[in-house]
Amino acid sequence: MKSRPGNLAPHNESLFNAVLSTLDMVVFECEEDSSEFRLQGLPPEWWRAWVGPADCTMLDLGRCSPFLQEYLTSAHLAWAGTPGATEKSGPWTEPDRQGGSMTLEATALAIGSKKLVLIERLGSGFKEMGTIVQRARERMLAEERTAKAYRKTETHLISKLEVSERTKDDALALLQHLGLAALVLDERGHITFASDRGLEILGMTAEAVIGREWEQALPLPEHDRMAIRELINTASDRRKACVVGIEGPRPSWVEIEVHGDPCHPGRHIVIVHDRTELHTLRRVLNEQASFHDLVGKSPAMLRTYQLVRDVAQVDSTVLIEGETGTGKELIARAIHSCSSRKHKPFIAANCAGLTDSILTSQLFGHKRGAFTGAVNDQQGLFEAAEGGTLFLDEIGDIPQQVQTALLRVLQEKEITRLGEAKPRKIDVRVVAATHHNLSEDVVRGSFRADLLYRIRIARVQLSPLRERREDIPLLAQSFLGQICTATGKTIERLNPDTLRLLMSHAWPGNVRELKSAIEFAVISCKTKEVLPIDLPPEIISAPVVPSSSVWIPLPNRDEKSRFLAALSDAKGNRTEAARRLGVSRATFYRRLVELDIDPR
Amino acid sequence: MMQKKVCMLGGFAVGKTSLVRRFVSNVFSDHYHTTIGVTVEKKSVTVDDRDIMLVLWDLYGEDEFQRVRDSYLRGSSGYILVMDGTRKATLDTALALQQTALRTVGTVPFISIINKADVRSEWEIDERTIEQLRAQGWTVLFGSAKLGQGVEELFVALATQLVHAAPIP
Repeated sequence: MKSRPGNLAPHNESLFNAVLSTLDMVVFECEEDSSEFRLQGLPPEWWRAWVGPADCTMLDLGRCSPFLQEYLTSAHLAWAGTPGATEKSGPWTEPDRQGGSMTLEATALAIGSKKLVLIERLGSGFKEMGTIVQRARERMLAEERTAKAYRKTETHLISKLEVSERTKDDALALLQHLGLAALVLDERGHITFASDRGLEILGMTAEAVIGREWEQALPLPEHDRMAIRELINTASDRRKACVVGIEGPRPSWVEIEVHGDPCHPGRHIVIVHDRTELHTLRRVLNEQASFHDLVGKSPAMLRTYQLVRDVAQVDSTVLIEGETGTGKELIARAIHSCSSRKHKPFIAANCAGLTDSILTSQLFGHKRGAFTGAVNDQQGLFEAAEGGTLFLDEIGDIPQQVQTALLRVLQEKEITRLGEAKPRKIDVRVVAATHHNLSEDVVRGSFRADLLYRIRIARVQLSPLRERREDIPLLAQSFLGQICTATGKTIERLNPDTLRLLMSHAWPGNVRELKSAIEFAVISCKTKEVLPIDLPPEIISAPVVPSSSVWIPLPNRDEKSRFLAALSDAKGNRTEAARRLGVSRATFYRRLVELDIDPR
Repeated sequence: MMQKKVCMLGGFAVGKTSLVRRFVSNVFSDHYHTTIGVTVEKKSVTVDDRDIMLVLWDLYGEDEFQRVRDSYLRGSSGYILVMDGTRKATLDTALALQQTALRTVGTVPFISIINKADVRSEWEIDERTIEQLRAQGWTVLFGSAKLGQGVEELFVALATQLVHAAPIP
């Protein structure tokens, strides 16, 4: 192929061709008249190979690639006479004749009035640039993939977190709805969670407990703290709940359950149950079931407790009426204990079976030499009870003379010792008791009416045990506990048949008789429970009294028969006969005289 | 035969070259090879019994390394906007290129295709976005150069628009 040298290489054609060869490009000049492009200088080999063996001195637009065709037919600024302007086509790729491809770039420029096109094959520099762009894009794609994977993971985790949060919210809502009071402790014993109900029961705020060690956060007495500590340290299968008291402005009682956290070993879930109400009710119930040393929760006893409380608030003389063994002295003691005199002495005196001189001396005291045997000055019980309470039991049995003296003491609030003339001021509350019907005694003339009115300002009437049988199990259990403690025996309960017998017995000796029977049974008992056979024989063999029946006091004739029968059963042993009747020896003797029974 | 210059526009690695190669030569390569500059391919299609030669200018993908030169777009009778369904950013590139094309060649027929329908589950471009594009007057097709799905339909659809847009000789 021979190029036609044009005006571009007028001086040194070989130099021009050498430059073209070095630049590895082909140059065409646009002919002014035909707008055809004519080759200038020698073309490089690649151009020959590309255009083929045909004459390549002219650029045939019809055979050009569409890209070059468009480029050459476009209007370029460089050809519009703008001095020094060049306009590159940008790279384009063309297939070559060998089945490969090559990337070319054309540049339009003008020299003088000549329009030129330079076509160069983009070689190694272009390939390097391509490689760099390829790597950069691959890297960007890889980073995009990584970022996408991160986003996906993040989305997945957020979604899981949302599910977890939702589950947690649901669980919390359920927890709150159920009112379950729970705390969660971490491995160090710090509270990490507390339900609203838990905080409510503990009377605390979340800020006061969350993040704090439970031992510091919870206001517990030391022994309760120890109990919970022990519970936490106990193996889960051997843990039992414990009840502790929460201190603070609103004290409460709570039952604590400790469970291991199934998801996190070392953590603990503490379930808190409010037992304050239960505790309060139990306390009220216990208070109702017993009052000082009195036991019983029957309506009659509950009324008695209230009466005792009421009577204790005033300083009036009280008369306690009730059959023998109904606990008159216990009532007197309870009145004293509930009164403002509780820190002062309580003196009990049995007035039965004493002569007037002995009783007078005992009550009022005497001066040395006042009577034979009075070797020293002696203060009486009234003086001994100064500031406190004097309990005069069996007041219905005191002789007439003493009744007169007593009346004076109650009226004047002063006593005069035997053998003395000067009275002494006293401040003593008198509580009297009798099993008599004093009104009848007044009618019979054996008791002074004015004394009765003086001592019967306040009255407490005690029901016999047969009229409050519902108290028998409670009393029997209480006596069983007391006697077992005293004797060291371990008897857990009363057999139901035993209890049935106790419930059906008449109990003429009332609570005292019941206590004796239980004592008898404890001594006899060989097992963990009191059997019917352990009871005293008179209870075992006694005819069953229907529990609903109302006991009617026997007239004197029947009571005389009972006393005779008891004496007969006891083969004349008066102590045993008294025990069988459930009365004291003193009462037994007194009743023998009253019923005109000859014990022989 | 009517000959129409059609530019393939889109972000890098969206599958412009793959769509052209699938259409022209019915081949596909999983290997990504970036286009530098432009590669021109031709293929005729028949629309309404008329043959039309599509001159496909497969331009390099636009990114921060390479901006599409206006000179490549000049003289285009239509263009195809290609997006990668798995990369939402390629939608932004397509929107920008559409504005460039509008500025350079004016209102000419164009069709958009969301490529990589073979991995539809991984798409980041959602239905709502697609509906918004359609509401703007875009023709949005789905396709997969890998599976050859929607490729022929893409070029025929544009050719049809070009035929109907061009004055009958």
